[in-house]
Amino acid sequence: MKRYMTSTQRKTQLRNWTVMISLFLFIILVVVISMNTGFIKLSPLELFYTLFGFGTSEQALILFEFRLPRIVLSILVGMGLAVSGAILQGVTRNALADPGILGINAGAGLMVMLYISYFPSTTNTPIFILPVLAFIGATAAASCIYILSYKRDEGISPVRLLLTGVAIAAGISSAMIILTLRLSPESYQFVATWLAGSIWGSNWKFVLALLPWIIILIIFAYVKANVLNILNLGDVTAVGLGASIEKERRLLLLAAVGLAGASVSVSGGIGFVGLIGPHLARQLVGARHQILIPTSALVGGLLVLVADTIGRWILQPSEIPAGIIVAIIGAPYFLYLLTRLED
Amino acid sequence: MLILRKVLVSFFSFLFILVGCQDNVSEDDVKETNDHTVDEHVLTDAMGNEVTIPANPDRVIASYLEDYLLALGITPVAQWAIHDGASIQDYLQEDLKDVPTIPYDLPFEVVTSFSPDLLIMSSADMVEGEKYEQYSKIAPTYVLDLENNSDWREKLLKIGEVFDKQDEAEKVLVTYDEKAKESKQLLKDSMGNQSVAAIWLVNNTFFIVSDKVSSGVVLYDDLGLEKPNVVEEISTTATDNWSEISLEKLAELDADHLFLVNSDKGNGAKMLEDPIWKDIPAVKKGQIYEYEADSAWLYSGPIANTQIIDDVMTSLIK
Repeated sequence: MKRYMTSTQRKTQLRNWTVMISLFLFIILVVVISMNTGFIKLSPLELFYTLFGFGTSEQALILFEFRLPRIVLSILVGMGLAVSGAILQGVTRNALADPGILGINAGAGLMVMLYISYFPSTTNTPIFILPVLAFIGATAAASCIYILSYKRDEGISPVRLLLTGVAIAAGISSAMIILTLRLSPESYQFVATWLAGSIWGSNWKFVLALLPWIIILIIFAYVKANVLNILNLGDVTAVGLGASIEKERRLLLLAAVGLAGASVSVSGGIGFVGLIGPHLARQLVGARHQILIPTSALVGGLLVLVADTIGRWILQPSEIPAGIIVAIIGAPYFLYLLTRLED
Repeated sequence: MLILRKVLVSFFSFLFILVGCQDNVSEDDVKETNDHTVDEHVLTDAMGNEVTIPANPDRVIASYLEDYLLALGITPVAQWAIHDGASIQDYLQEDLKDVPTIPYDLPFEVVTSFSPDLLIMSSADMVEGEKYEQYSKIAPTYVLDLENNSDWREKLLKIGEVFDKQDEAEKVLVTYDEKAKESKQLLKDSMGNQSVAAIWLVNNTFFIVSDKVSSGVVLYDDLGLEKPNVVEEISTTATDNWSEISLEKLAELDADHLFLVNSDKGNGAKMLEDPIWKDIPAVKKGQIYEYEADSAWLYSGPIANTQIIDDVMTSLIK
């Protein structure tokens, strides 16, 4: 029996590594394609030269200042959202949980929008404030959801959490629509593209603002993988196994909120990544969170990167926000999941 | 929900495009100091950036400010357009017909491809989200943001300053004012106190111009034409350059002459068949002058305003 287990484990481990490495290679491939995508054509050779510092100053400007920060941001945002989704799905034991559906994105969005509409663009404020604001908004939304779905005897029931989230998200979205009415056309345009989920802060500063959140919180999620595994077994079992459920759940929720909020602050309302990322990952490597979390991160990063690259390429020189591309892929997938859950 | 939001967002983006065709008023502070040298000069723009303007910028991109540039004798290397060039500032095409278009949101790479030596942004919103830094890596970038963005005279003087062409800018204003004064006298002599109004028909909705902006300023201030009560009333509360007006309200419009900018010409303009419309005094009297959407009436700037005066003169002075 023991020998048998070990051999399956070894097989699983091999499979997991293959999946992770292929995902990684895929990301590299799309990064290269994405570096080639844009209004100004750079041949692969020129790209290569420029990467190693032998390009013209114009080529260097395009590659290092316009394309690369955006590529890096897309990946980071995708990772953040997907891991956030993985945590939420684990914590709520609900396969349909997603920071977008739960209203966390909307809460972050509302804060960012309030900030944009009350602080004119002429004031130069540090960009690092955005993720913090988004985090505050996301936490506020998440707390509302948590409080509203909490019942003393039962704690948080996954279904109630999800339903409350949907309701709060709807409320916040309508508040945002009302807010947009008082914006100037230019600010409105900014907010509209933001809501549609465009990687708008294509700037190294945004990368720097986002990076610490993503790294620290993903590592945190990875460390807590075992807790997620236990929570997944259901509250009763989890308590039986000695997990202090509510405390762990709250911490993990906070991490998920932080990840989603920070990502959303630079990417705008990209939905579905938090849903699809972990789902695809689960199909590839199974439900153990130790492997699920890194795989979700890779899938999410790949997904947003692909969406942003397609969005930049399809209607050149105009751009389609990555969020819309993800939604085009994500919405049918979401429906597919719904029908599967019925069975 | 998300899909709904996407739908709403695209719907509102479409609305924006309609709204975006107008000039807008923004309320940002303007800080301005200047410092002149003979060759290149350093200016502080509306966002407080120190901008080094090259000696003789000859590859300028100043999207949606083309009117002002042309008035100062500068031809930009690219011109404002939306929908991949489907919509451009038609009234300037005599001068801009050989100038390629650039999307209104000025994507970095497209801007770079023109190798500009000076960028002028028509408002601070254009560089929102730290974009300024990236634009300024392409070329010196000057952000124009006036307290009152519809004050075309102020805008012209500012742009004159950027190009070190203050004298030319003053001259353009003097020429314009002389023309306006002459026309005003002619109109007064021939029409007395008859009132006029400008309305815009787009997507089966009428809009009426406010007296503070665009063609409204030309009609009521520069040409001193009589303002109907409805315009007066709407202008006091108007937040936009053109305010929506219902057909019923339009029926109360006691203007003797109407200038109609018809953007619905291509698709039938059903509203013009409406009995209420046909009952409006000016329409009954046949004192209605129709202009197409490609005329200058929806814009403002030295060239647009001059063209509006010309249009008014040809319409009203027989």
